[in-house]
Amino acid sequence: MITSKLREAILCLRPGRVTLKYPFEPHDPEGDFRGYPELDADKCIGCGGCATVCPARAIMIQDIDQNTRRIVRFLERCIYCGRCADVCPEDAITMTKRFELSTDQGREDMVAECEVFMATCQRCGQCYKPPSALDKIMEPGFRDDKLKRGGDDSPYEPI
Amino acid sequence: MNAQQLGDSVKQQFGDKVVELSALGPNQLCLTITPDSLVSVAEYLNKDLGCRFVINSGTDRRRQRGKFLITHFFAHDEEKIYITLHTEVGEDQPEVDSITPSVPAANWSERETRDMVGVVPVGHPDPRRLVVADDWPEDVFPLRWDVPHDLKPPPAEGVAMPLLDPPEGASVVPIGPYFPVLEEPEYFRVFVEGEEVVGADYRGFYNHRGIEKLGSSALTYNQVPFIAERICGICGFVHSCSYCQAVERAAGIEVPPRGEYIRTIMLELERIHSHLLWLGIAGHIIGFDTILMQVWRMREPLMWLCERISGNRKTYGMNLVGGVRRDIEPEIHDDVRRVLTDIERQWQELYNAIPGDTTLMARLQGTGILPTEVARARGAVGPTARGSGLPIDVRVDHPYAAYDRLDVKKRVYDGCDNLARTLVRLDETLDSINIIRQALREMPEGEIMAQIDEEIPAGQQAVGSVEAPRGEVFHWVLTGPENRPERWRVRAPTYANLQSVPPMLQGDALADVPIDIGSIDPCFACTDRMEVVDVSSGQVRVYTQDELLNKKY
Repeated sequence: MITSKLREAILCLRPGRVTLKYPFEPHDPEGDFRGYPELDADKCIGCGGCATVCPARAIMIQDIDQNTRRIVRFLERCIYCGRCADVCPEDAITMTKRFELSTDQGREDMVAECEVFMATCQRCGQCYKPPSALDKIMEPGFRDDKLKRGGDDSPYEPI
Repeated sequence: MNAQQLGDSVKQQFGDKVVELSALGPNQLCLTITPDSLVSVAEYLNKDLGCRFVINSGTDRRRQRGKFLITHFFAHDEEKIYITLHTEVGEDQPEVDSITPSVPAANWSERETRDMVGVVPVGHPDPRRLVVADDWPEDVFPLRWDVPHDLKPPPAEGVAMPLLDPPEGASVVPIGPYFPVLEEPEYFRVFVEGEEVVGADYRGFYNHRGIEKLGSSALTYNQVPFIAERICGICGFVHSCSYCQAVERAAGIEVPPRGEYIRTIMLELERIHSHLLWLGIAGHIIGFDTILMQVWRMREPLMWLCERISGNRKTYGMNLVGGVRRDIEPEIHDDVRRVLTDIERQWQELYNAIPGDTTLMARLQGTGILPTEVARARGAVGPTARGSGLPIDVRVDHPYAAYDRLDVKKRVYDGCDNLARTLVRLDETLDSINIIRQALREMPEGEIMAQIDEEIPAGQQAVGSVEAPRGEVFHWVLTGPENRPERWRVRAPTYANLQSVPPMLQGDALADVPIDIGSIDPCFACTDRMEVVDVSSGQVRVYTQDELLNKKY
C-alpha cells in the first residue's frame, strides 16, 4: 500500500506544473488547424461547389438576378471540416487558425455575405470540378436554396 | 466455412423458405426469407450455429416494392461472417413475427423498428414504445419516406415522465438526469434496501437527434461521414470509418493501402485517448481524483498530436468515402513516436502502482459481476465482453482497414468484475501503442484516396464494422438514388452493453452503482433509451406513457 502510494506520488510530482496560462497568454494551435474559414471575395467565382459539399449546410447560394449571385455563410452552423476549402477551384477559401469566435453581438454577427457579379454566367456548373463523383453539384442552374437562417425558431426571415 | 457455404447450409435446412441467397465476398451473407420462417431461421442461426445477434433494422421500401424490409443482422465471429437476414412484409399488414422470445438480445431493436418504421413485432413479450419522445404522435413513424426530416409535431402538455414507486420497503436514490456517470443526460432511479440495490428505473432518450433520418433524406454520401463522426463525442472516428467502409463495400470501392494504414493509426490513437479518458473518469467515479488529473494530463499531448495530424483535437474529419483526406507526413512520425513513448512510460508507472493500491482494488475487485453466459446472452461487446471471458474483437474477427496486416491480440480476462474490465483496457492501451508503431513502420507509400468516377448505383448493400474503444460499432448501408443512402443503420456498442448493466447491479452496494455503470464505458448519446429494470429477476420492461400516468405496473 505504502509503496503504491509512493509510486503514485512520484507520478504526480515528476511532471511539475503543466497548466497553461491561456487565455492570458495566447496558445496557438499547431499544424494545419481547421479554424475560421476565410472567403476571399475577389477570388470567388460563385460556382457553388462549397455549398454542394458542406455537410452542415452552412453555405447558401442565392441568385438574386441574372447579374448577381449571393453567397451567404451561416457560421453558427459551421463545423470547421474544411471541405469547402478543399473543393474550391479558385482557392478562395482558407482555413485560418482563428478559433476564438464567440460573440456578444447576436447571431447576425456569425453571418458572412458576399456578392459575385455573374452577368455572363450561364450557371452550367462546369467551372466546379468535383473531386469525386460523390461530390457532384446537386443543383446546377439558377439557385435559390431554401435554407432559412438558423432554422424554424430563428428570429430571421427566410431570405 | 465461408459465406457461401454458410448460406448453403441454411438453404439445405429451410429449402424454399429461402427466397434469395447471395454472398458478398467470403465474409458477408445476404439471405431473403419468407416472413413465416423468420423465427425458425433466426433460432437456427442463433442457437444451432452460435451466431451473435447484432441489431435489427426496418426500411420503408413502399415506393420501390410496396413493402417494408425488415432486416436482422447476425455475426458468426469464429467464421468471420456477417449475416444479413431480410424479410419483406406488405404495406397493408405491417407485421412481422418477433424473434425476441427465442433471441432475447433482439428485445430493444425490434421495438425501435416499430417506433421508427411502424412494423409491429407480433408476439414480442413487451410490445411497447421505446425510442420516440413521450409526446410523439402514435401514428407518425419518423423513418418512413413520406415523413419529412424536419417534422415538428406540436408538443403535448403534461407528459412529463411520471416517477415509479419503489418496491415495498425500498427507498429511492436518484442518480441523474444530469451527469449520472459521464457528462450526458440520463436518469437512473435506484431502489435500495439499506445499502443493497434491489431494483432500478431508467429513463434515457433525451438526446435523440434523428441522425439516421438525415443520412437518408438530407445529406449526400460524402456529407454523412461528418455527422456520423458526431454520433459520439469521444470515439467519433469509429463511426465515420464504419460508415465509409459500408459504402465502400457496397459500391466496390477499394481504399488505397496507405489510406487504410492511416485509418488504422487514427483509430488506435483514438482508442488510447478514449481508454485514458475512461480510466480518469473511473478514478473520478470512485472518488480517487488523483487518477483523473494525472491520466488526463498524460492524455493531453496525444490530443495535441491529433490536432497536428488532423486539424482538430477530437473530431478529426479525416474520413471520406474512398479513403482519408489527410496524409500522415513522414516529418510527423518521430513526434508520434515520442508522444507514444512518453505515454507508455507513464502508463507503465501507473500500471505498477494500481495492483498495490488497496483502495482501488477494494472498489474494483468483485464488484459489478457480469457472468460469461449473461454477457453472451445479452450480446455484450468490447471490453465488457472480454472482461467476462468472451473472446470477441472485431479487429481480429472481422478485419478491416489494415488490421489483417498488423499484430492484434485479443485481451481476455475471466474475472467478470470491474477490475477485469479495467485490466482489459489497460492492456489494450499498451497494445495500441505497439500497433501504431508497427503501422508507422510498415505503412506503404502511395495514394490515400480512391478515385471515384462513377456514381454509386442504387440498391446495393453492405455492412461496415469497427472495434471502437467501447466495443463493436456496426453500420449498414443500403444505397439509394440521389447520391445518398436509402437506409443507413447505426448500432453503437453501448446499445448492446447497457443491457448488461441490470445483472451487474444485482446485490451490489449502492456506492458501487456508479462504477458498475461506468465500467461498461457507457456512451449514452449513442444509445438513448427508456426502460424499467427489475434487477431481482433481470427482466427489462418498458412502460408506455399511459401506463405510467395510470400507474398500471
